[in-house]
Amino acid sequence: MTALQKLKSMVDNPDRFDFPYSEVQALQLEAVDELFQVQRQKIKLLDHRAKQAGVDRISDFETIVPLLFPHTVYKSYPESLLSSHRWDKLAKWLQATSSIPVPVDEPAQYPDIDSWLSSLEKSGVFVNCSSGTTGKSAMLVSSATDMDWLLTEAVAAYSWGSGVVPNADRKIYGLAPVAVTPRNLKTGEAYRMALQDPNSEPFAYPVPPISVGALTSMVVLRKKIAEGVVTPQELIDYESISATRQQQMSDAVEIAAAAIIEDRAELLHISGMWSSLYAIAERVRAQGFSASDFNPMNSIYVGGGLKRAQLPDNYREVVYETFNIAPERNYQNYSMQELQSGMPRCRAGARYHVPPWVIPLILDKSGEVLLERQEGEYEGRAAFVDLSLRGRWGGVITGDKVSIDFGRCTCGAHGPSIRDTIIRYSDIEGDDKIGCAGTVDAYVRGMS
Amino acid sequence: MSSVSAPFFIQGRLCSGAVQHHKSRDLGVEFVTPKLDLNAVVTPRSVVPPLLNTPLSEIIDFLVETGNSLRDPANPHIQACFERMAATHMLPREVLEVTLAHATAYLDKRILLAEVEQNFPDPRVLDQWVPKQDFTGRQSFVRAFGPRLVHVMPGNSPGVAIKSIAQGAMVKAINLFKMSSSDPFTMVAILQTMAEIDPDHPVVQSMTAAYWRGGDATIESALYRPQYFDKLVAWGGGDAINNVAQYIGPGFQLVSFDPKTSISMVGSEAFSSPDATAQAADLAAADLMILNQEACAASRYQFVEGTQEQVDEFCRLMQLGIAKRAQISGDNRPVDVDIREQIEMLTLMDDDYRYFGDFDGAGVVIRSEEPVDFHPINKIGNVVRVDHLDDAVRYVNVATQTIGFFPFGRIESYRDRLAAGGAQRITHLGEAGPATIGNPHDAMYPMHRFVHWMAHEDGAIANEQ
Repeated sequence: MTALQKLKSMVDNPDRFDFPYSEVQALQLEAVDELFQVQRQKIKLLDHRAKQAGVDRISDFETIVPLLFPHTVYKSYPESLLSSHRWDKLAKWLQATSSIPVPVDEPAQYPDIDSWLSSLEKSGVFVNCSSGTTGKSAMLVSSATDMDWLLTEAVAAYSWGSGVVPNADRKIYGLAPVAVTPRNLKTGEAYRMALQDPNSEPFAYPVPPISVGALTSMVVLRKKIAEGVVTPQELIDYESISATRQQQMSDAVEIAAAAIIEDRAELLHISGMWSSLYAIAERVRAQGFSASDFNPMNSIYVGGGLKRAQLPDNYREVVYETFNIAPERNYQNYSMQELQSGMPRCRAGARYHVPPWVIPLILDKSGEVLLERQEGEYEGRAAFVDLSLRGRWGGVITGDKVSIDFGRCTCGAHGPSIRDTIIRYSDIEGDDKIGCAGTVDAYVRGMS
Repeated sequence: MSSVSAPFFIQGRLCSGAVQHHKSRDLGVEFVTPKLDLNAVVTPRSVVPPLLNTPLSEIIDFLVETGNSLRDPANPHIQACFERMAATHMLPREVLEVTLAHATAYLDKRILLAEVEQNFPDPRVLDQWVPKQDFTGRQSFVRAFGPRLVHVMPGNSPGVAIKSIAQGAMVKAINLFKMSSSDPFTMVAILQTMAEIDPDHPVVQSMTAAYWRGGDATIESALYRPQYFDKLVAWGGGDAINNVAQYIGPGFQLVSFDPKTSISMVGSEAFSSPDATAQAADLAAADLMILNQEACAASRYQFVEGTQEQVDEFCRLMQLGIAKRAQISGDNRPVDVDIREQIEMLTLMDDDYRYFGDFDGAGVVIRSEEPVDFHPINKIGNVVRVDHLDDAVRYVNVATQTIGFFPFGRIESYRDRLAAGGAQRITHLGEAGPATIGNPHDAMYPMHRFVHWMAHEDGAIANEQ
């Protein structure tokens, strides 16, 4: 077995989040070089970076730093390609970060981005889009093996972090509209296989799933407004689509609240986003139900942050207390679009544990210099190499300021762990930048 | 690093203290200010403006004298200001010094008079109640009465501080300047210089400069009211304007200097000879490097009419022009890593994109077939190749301020379409910086909008015995 295979095979090892870092360090370096040698042959941007930095071999962690990609790389396509339906050019753009050949077809074959993306899946190119509401969506390529990895890894991390043994004995309540991306679909499938009781059906949230075309339509419209080529009628049409969707969203809260009250005695696994979970919890309470009505073994996984939702300070407590979620079954996970592996939070130490197939690199604020590894906890900008990724390069610089400790967590597990107080650098800077120089974005009203 | 001190200036007196800690936006450096006393920065409406009976000529003389003191290399306030700015501002100290020196040129008697004369057809309205009579015989007196102004200052150019003080003084306003976190110093240094000339001068008594975090609702919701101020003079856009816009209402108006993008348009005449190409490319580089591309008049996109081969040569020469100016100004700030990645990804994608220069701080020019999505800043040009300049007109929009044009002879056939698109200035390429003294700014005559236009109706002649 190669170093890479050894590390990846640890996904089945019960001690995968409990390992003295000194024991895997050398293996990680060997594995990252192994992966780099293969991927630079296929990924144009990685090869370009390596040439610029003069890197032919990775033998220490410092050497990885110039090979990390900032997350903006995955949003660097020209927006106009979406509105002009230039899938051929987008394919060429994707190719720069993809290790799999992306077919360049005649764009006229595909009436919209969704049909183009599903055609790519037939060639083994799975494109994941982030759900940036007003900003550009990131586009990241995964391979078929990456998709398979999600099937095992996601539930395993959930199980370690929540203590829930997957036993196909729960009813899954997905309480948020789902963006239709290969990763979301696969992860959902994995959870259903592991947790869903075959004698019942998972609750389907009564809002149509959000396609990539829908995700990007707002970006396309925003650009048209900025360019001054949008007509008032188009804006009205868009508003009416938004209003319909808004209505579906509020109807869904009622329907979901009624359904979960009906199923209150069942063993549930709840997932969703804070905004919809909170709204449903409020409705459940308003009808006189609370923790004592629900099963004390219920579990929950909430993805993402608040996403700009305005909620009261105690929103988490309201959700946990309504659905009777014991603190230890409240699963939290640190991950991001650019990685595919999760870092589950332990129950005793409230820290996110980094698995051995993910190399944590703590950089200075600028993201240019690797900080010297310290005894105990220290902070800096997080960067990672997810060695499990095949479809693209797993090395990424995040926008997050984290506190890491490579030693032993109070939960007892050895190995790198990150305190659950992660903040974005962009949120800690001042916010009153004013200048006379600026862009037309400031002239686009009502699109946020 | 220890925190830098940023005192306030309140109606003629310096107010120091280290009570509140803030962060500068661009560099994240800490600075400390005194506690902000809101009562002290508001003048009750029962008080008439201190400058009301000071003649405009005297105000101008005082501003001119201030200019002389600001230019004095021994001026301790300005020197201290540069020391502090070096810690919080993104531009190198040399650039800031040159900028301020240039800006003081505005404090010239002829310039100030020309500004007033262009803003007010009859400048006497600033000094007195000017008699009027209409064709029916109705008589009145009109005065451009001194307003109460809050100025939300930009952080990118110290020159705006000087202009704002001068215009605020000439319209005899009671002024509150809300400073920006990247420059909480220049305004106070200028006002200290003024106070040293004459602490009791009504100009000095009319000026207050303070800092609070932009958008701080506890402060802004209390201050931004028509009972305290007539107009809010704001620079910038996005969150900065969205924050203040909520306070605008009857009696409290917005005069906004909007965020702007400037561009260049270069016709195929630039390729009539190698010399013409070199000349046009150098002029384009000059327009790009205004305030090292921090200014709104600095060109960011250059639309060039030609073949790819011609345009590439233009790009190559233009990058050299940027590099030369960066070198002279001591500016070696490297390209932001996010922009660098985007440029590299685009060039990896397609031959439609190519870049010239490097990311080391000496300037980059990226050539494309349509404008890039990111905002070119810090010595980056985006040359967009077009078959015909007509194809560039659609990229002009409501955010477009200045268009540097080459050849000069083709300007007249474009200016109407550019104005309709939203543009505000069209200039000879290479001259995006200078403006005819007294010309409109941001499609308006600002001082004319600052004042409180007051009429004293005096009846009709026919009724008099």
